[in-house]
Amino acid sequence: MDEILNKIARCIQSGKIDKVSPYPPDMKGEDGADELTKFALENGIKPDQVLDLALIPAMETVGDRFSRKEIYVPQMLMSAKAMNSAMKHLKPFFQSGETKRKGKFIIGTVAGDLHDIGKNLVSMMIEGGGWEVIDLGVDVSTEKFMKAIGENPQAAVGLSALLTTTMENMKKTVAVIKDSYADTRILIGGAPVTWEYCEKIGADFYSPDPQGAVNYLKQLVA
Amino acid sequence: MKGKNFSFNISELDLSVPRIGQMLNFGEGECEGVFSEMIFSALEEAEKLPPARAEYTIFEAVKFSDAEKTIEINDIIFEVNRIVSSQLRGSDSIAVFLCTAGPGISEKSRQAMEAGDLLTGYIYDAVGNEIVDAAFNLLYKDLQKHTEVSGKKLTNRYNPGYCDWKVDEQEKLFRLMPDNYCGIRLNSSALMDPEKSVSGFIGIGRNVRFNSFTCGLCDRTDCIYRNIKDKE
Ligand code: B12
Repeated sequence: MDEILNKIARCIQSGKIDKVSPYPPDMKGEDGADELTKFALENGIKPDQVLDLALIPAMETVGDRFSRKEIYVPQMLMSAKAMNSAMKHLKPFFQSGETKRKGKFIIGTVAGDLHDIGKNLVSMMIEGGGWEVIDLGVDVSTEKFMKAIGENPQAAVGLSALLTTTMENMKKTVAVIKDSYADTRILIGGAPVTWEYCEKIGADFYSPDPQGAVNYLKQLVA
Repeated sequence: MKGKNFSFNISELDLSVPRIGQMLNFGEGECEGVFSEMIFSALEEAEKLPPARAEYTIFEAVKFSDAEKTIEINDIIFEVNRIVSSQLRGSDSIAVFLCTAGPGISEKSRQAMEAGDLLTGYIYDAVGNEIVDAAFNLLYKDLQKHTEVSGKKLTNRYNPGYCDWKVDEQEKLFRLMPDNYCGIRLNSSALMDPEKSVSGFIGIGRNVRFNSFTCGLCDRTDCIYRNIKDKE
């Protein structure tokens, strides 16, 4: 079992999606995360084990390497593709309830802001960390965040912004959320955001990169 | 008050796979195989989009206050702060510019991402950044050609939101311009729509100069542009 899980993890770390995928060149023609996951599930490995022992640790390594600037966004996204090709086989088990995720994470770019690249990278890494992500998109009003939290009261929330001006809208959203849901954990990020600002507006966590957010969420449910 | 508007076909902009690769942080010769193929096809798709637009207006009556670190144009006082005021001081006039890739490239990026292909979406996003940059460079060259004949030089471009010039000052910049100038609108949070747009000032005068070390004036050490300059 270990061997196949290690192989899946290696495919994800190196961005090997499936057999026909030419990337990375040194794995050409080999099975990818897609085939290996299918094989693992057909051969008695539990979806939980695939998630916890292959996908999550592999994406954690990818996130750490990105934080250390050993790889950049394109390589990270190639790994994400490989992860998705494995995740696709797990989806039916999530739906049936046989495999549980760690929790829910609501994310959106704040009101007045359209920038979604950073938010999408964070969503993807958090999904790879074993969370169900509810992505509300861009220019998300406080009301929309509140509605989503109302429907998913246990969820943690992430807010993203591009400019110092749109970042100001985080303040209002955080205040309104905290007013009704004092226990909801709020993570913030985006180019102009700092720890100082996070503390100032009463959010719970700031991270300059996705992996910091994944690690924070992980210790919340540990 | 003089001005000029441009529309540049994407194919005129000289975007290349290595250039985009560099923006994606690939080192020299590292952007190959699938990555370079993906960039190549994104560029091909981008070339089918409507042209990028750029426009400037030259304001002759500009007043500098050294003490306040402000610049006054048409009764609007720009609080540009120390760095920008010291770099623009001495300009006889200021070209206020806007430049945009248009909404198409961000739309492409969004569509790819919504379909679950983050990598393609990210590449389109980088192409969008390069389109704005390249369109700006052509505007700058054209302006340079026109000012050179009268023996004048240009400063670098300075944008609200950089070098301690607050981004909300964009609201004043847009007040100087007619509505929907260059096809760009500013929302109440000082964000331009289309997203892939830039705004700013260029100083024009006999006694100004281009400063090739402006990155050194800025305290943002994680800026992708700075890193590229450092590598060069
Ligand atoms: C590329 C870029 C542009 C491009 C594209 C912009 C776009 N919206 O697509 C162009 C050239 C068009 C541009 C224009 C402008 N820009 Co600009 N731009 C950048 C740059 C270099 C990179 C942004 C980017 O896409 N990064 C890549 C993505 C993946 O990173 P990210 O979004 O930050 O997300 C990461 C993290 O922040 C984090 N994260 C993000 N969200 C979240 C959420 C959570 C919960 C967590 C935990 C983490 C997290 O994880 C992500 C992955 O690592 C930054 C500087 C920088 N190094 O960040 C300036 C920057 C954002 N721009 C800036 C400015 C000022 C502008 C302009 C206003 C300048 C002008 N006057 O023209 C305009 C505004 C454009 C507009 N539409 O209004 C400033 C903003 C600071 C401020 N003062 O507000 C910055 C920070 C540069 C600076 N001066 O330091 N820009």
